[in-house]
Amino acid sequence: MDIASVIAEVPEKIAELQLSFSSGAVVGSTDGFYISQYILWMFVATAILLIVVFAAKRRMTLVPQSKFANAIEALVEFVRKDVGEGVVGKGYEKHLPFLLTIFLFILFNNLLGLIPGAKPGTGTISVTAALSLVAFVYFNIYGMKKQGVGRYWLNLAPKGVILPLAVMLWFIELFSLFLRLMTLAIRLFANMYAGHIVLGAFALLTTLFLTPLIQQGISAAALVTALPSVIWMALLILMYAMELLVAVIQAYVFVMLTGVYIQIAAGEE
Amino acid sequence: MKISAAGRKSLSASLLVSGILAAVPSVAFAAEAGSGASLIIPDMSEFIPALLAFLVLWFILAKFAYPAITGMLDKRAATIKDSLEQAETARIEGERLLERYKAELNDAKKQAAAIVADAKKSGESVKADITAQAQVQADEMIAKAQLAIEAEKNQAISELQSSVADLSVAVAGRLIGEDLSDGEHRKLIERYVKEAGSLNAN
Repeated sequence: MDIASVIAEVPEKIAELQLSFSSGAVVGSTDGFYISQYILWMFVATAILLIVVFAAKRRMTLVPQSKFANAIEALVEFVRKDVGEGVVGKGYEKHLPFLLTIFLFILFNNLLGLIPGAKPGTGTISVTAALSLVAFVYFNIYGMKKQGVGRYWLNLAPKGVILPLAVMLWFIELFSLFLRLMTLAIRLFANMYAGHIVLGAFALLTTLFLTPLIQQGISAAALVTALPSVIWMALLILMYAMELLVAVIQAYVFVMLTGVYIQIAAGEE
Repeated sequence: MKISAAGRKSLSASLLVSGILAAVPSVAFAAEAGSGASLIIPDMSEFIPALLAFLVLWFILAKFAYPAITGMLDKRAATIKDSLEQAETARIEGERLLERYKAELNDAKKQAAAIVADAKKSGESVKADITAQAQVQADEMIAKAQLAIEAEKNQAISELQSSVADLSVAVAGRLIGEDLSDGEHRKLIERYVKEAGSLNAN
């Protein structure tokens, strides 16, 4: 097997890789109701999240003593200060449980997915769509409760605009409101999906270019073919670091935008 | 209290949201595995467990975890704030007391110095008094002694004068015989003796 045949194999292998990212049944069958690999890992992440939060709660003392509890407190404080006080503003306390759950759920899913062999629960649109729908329903209900149903929907159009223009803007705003449902879900899903495809691709390439060396033993041709693996491996490590960052940033972006939408729904300038 | 009230509101919100979501008709999307568009169409087999998992997680955390965590954070913040304020008050009070004690110490030092100076002054005046008194007494004693000596001396002189006169009369009477008139001679001799005495006194 020389380098040319290895390269020839790449497109097919990448297509296989991509296919492996679509949801498959771990329990049940795809014809009916089933548990996919993403949902399985989502349950694992949820369980870990519950264990971690309750363990932190138990270790919390007035004078901080546990580093572990401190770390979880830091996450709570981060959402409270940055998203609560910073974005939602006045009366943020009642939104804090929701915002914290969103943030921690996404964060734990994203991070768990980085462990080789595991999948991020947020790596499928179904999960991110569920999250985005909950957020969407949450901020709309809050807006309607805060401003009144009629006023909330009417206030979509900006004030101080002549009537025909206001009507047109109202429809645009309504459209953009429902667009949030999709953007929230797709942004998170696409980031996780694409990131993991890239990680998978570099991992795959590293192995692929090493195969001749493993199968045929040491030869000049096999060594030359194996050389690019060093680069693929370096890129893989680089992307891993990058994905670690993305995992945290996307959790932050989702909760931050949810905070912004809640703040907008409150109708207070 | 504020947090627990917020927690309750959040709980009721989570129940409300789940109610509405249950009412959303679950449209079955035909998902063709691997094809482009199917990637962004939710699969109900994943969507519903995810939705339920999130709502249950939200409920559990909001009811059992967050109130305690945020409550502890608030309590800690309040404790730290109180402690800092108390420390500040104590510091101000301490500085005030230090200032007062310093002033008191200064006063006491001044008083002590004044007392010592006073004592020195009065001691000196007592000393001067005693010295003066002693001087006066000594002077008096000396004067008395002188007077007594003078009196003794005068008496001795007068006694001597009279005995010299008697002796002179007796001597003269022996020399001249008995015819010497006692009265005239006696006056004469006494005059001599007086002259001699005044000469002696000079």
